[in-house]
Amino acid sequence: MTPTISVSNLSKHYKVPERDGGMKAAVISLFNRKYRTVKAVDDVSFNIEAGEVVGFLGPNGAGKTTTLKVLSGLLHPTSGMVNVLGYEPTKRSHDYLRQVALVMGNRNQLSWDLPAIDSFELQRAIYSLPVSEFKKTRDDFIDLLELKDLVNKPIRNLSLGERMKMEIVGALLHRPKVLFLDEPTIGLDVTMQRRIRAFIKEYNQRWGATVLLTSHYMADVEALCKRVIVIHHGHTLFDGELNQLVTQFSSFKTLGITLPDPEVDLSQYGEVLTRDGARVTLRVPKAKTSQVTANLLSDLQVDDLTVEDTPIDDVIDSVFTSTKAAK
Amino acid sequence: MNPIKLALTYLRIGVLNEMQYRINFFIQLLQSFISVATGLIGLSLVFGQVKKLAGWSRPELLAVMGVHLLMGGVIRSIIQPNMERLMDDVRNGTLDFVLTKPADAQILVSVHEFRFWQLVDVIVGIVVISIAFIQLNGTLGILQFFGFLSALIMGGIMLYSVWLMVTSISFWVIRVQEISNLFEGLYAAGRWPVGIYPSWLRTGLTFLVPVAFAVTIPAEALTNRLTGTSLLIALGMTLLFVVLSRGLWRLGLSNYSGASS
Repeated sequence: MTPTISVSNLSKHYKVPERDGGMKAAVISLFNRKYRTVKAVDDVSFNIEAGEVVGFLGPNGAGKTTTLKVLSGLLHPTSGMVNVLGYEPTKRSHDYLRQVALVMGNRNQLSWDLPAIDSFELQRAIYSLPVSEFKKTRDDFIDLLELKDLVNKPIRNLSLGERMKMEIVGALLHRPKVLFLDEPTIGLDVTMQRRIRAFIKEYNQRWGATVLLTSHYMADVEALCKRVIVIHHGHTLFDGELNQLVTQFSSFKTLGITLPDPEVDLSQYGEVLTRDGARVTLRVPKAKTSQVTANLLSDLQVDDLTVEDTPIDDVIDSVFTSTKAAK
Repeated sequence: MNPIKLALTYLRIGVLNEMQYRINFFIQLLQSFISVATGLIGLSLVFGQVKKLAGWSRPELLAVMGVHLLMGGVIRSIIQPNMERLMDDVRNGTLDFVLTKPADAQILVSVHEFRFWQLVDVIVGIVVISIAFIQLNGTLGILQFFGFLSALIMGGIMLYSVWLMVTSISFWVIRVQEISNLFEGLYAAGRWPVGIYPSWLRTGLTFLVPVAFAVTIPAEALTNRLTGTSLLIALGMTLLFVVLSRGLWRLGLSNYSGASS
């Protein structure tokens, strides 16, 4: 079976004008402009199968949005092949655009002054959706995201989270097969993030849609994505299952220990990360975890002891810092 | 997608929404009255001195004023709001949403916005034109009427195309907001028939900002001055402007990369 999204050796380079600060440089650059090539995406390849939800991770400026824009047909690749659902996105054929959706958490497409229900009507006209099908999808989505009382209010009167929910409804009314979600939960509170996450999951399961998602909130990724692709400086650092990322990049575990005597020094057992009264967290090499645990229990009186994997945020952080060090 | 159906949907929703803000209707009505009043004062000042202005009599100039008002209403209700929104979309990167829709992007950006109450100017314009016509004791033959109507439509299309070209510049130069002010200023010159201006300005008002085609030529149709030749020239110019603006728009699009990477 051919993959739904196939990207091979994708590169996107921008030429940006460059000049030094100051008046003299500004005047010189008017006549003799120097350009610098920025490699936003450099030789990235991956395949995504139908129905997969893949997390696309990387720090700001890593090339995530650029990749999503190439996939949704907004940018032409500098080199490499991109194929989605059998189409070349750059051609922006209407048949292709009808089957995909791009949601950007930091930008709105719904009209500020219109109530959402009217904007949805406009989407119906743009995608020429049959009325009955459109109404059913719309009302389903409105129920799922609990928006019933809000659809008749102008968008400008809604909260940030409510607005984002409306954006998502508007973007998915044509029931796209492939979703490109760029930071869909940015700036939202935890409850709202959870609601949106649940909706994306529901949509993916109900329609078998393929989802490529970027997010800075690891909770999003953990809840939705089995597989993650990590990119940094335009290169792929990791492509595989999320828990494998943890095994591969994290060589430590975190021990949480509660002692009746808060004065005991634990530094001989591992690196003390935090100390909060009687509760201490220790970082120990993964291979030594069982040894250290046994020693602790035999040497000291311990009220409580937990062993945890390094939080995924820390893993990602160490992935990025380690590659920076390697450079 | 049927572009006419799409435009009508946008129109309907725009109208329904603006209906909520009835105060805008009264504000617009007041504005129209002020511009009619100042126009009339201007006319009486001129005709206090002379009997004719560059061959145009007083009721004929009233007809020019009416067409100018009517076309101004069309610009302010449809052309200007859409083009200003396009500039914003380019600057904010929200044009991405237009480009990911299965519809012709030029059509989409041209029907997005609609300021319903600005159409008051269109109606006031029609009233002024009718009064002028009665004063002229004119009779409107079928041919003359269609000449007027087609000149009006072609004029509207030309104004739209020029505006689209200017707006397309925003793909390269992000700040072009001032250009719409400049455009408004030049359009104001169309209140008088372009024949009264010195030739350099007349050329500009004909070929750069086609006020001549949008206002003077329809008024000529009303006052029996229109020749088949100028109607044909208008048709040729319309086609040229449409093709040029479409070309520049597409060139601009290929240069667009969104507001952030």
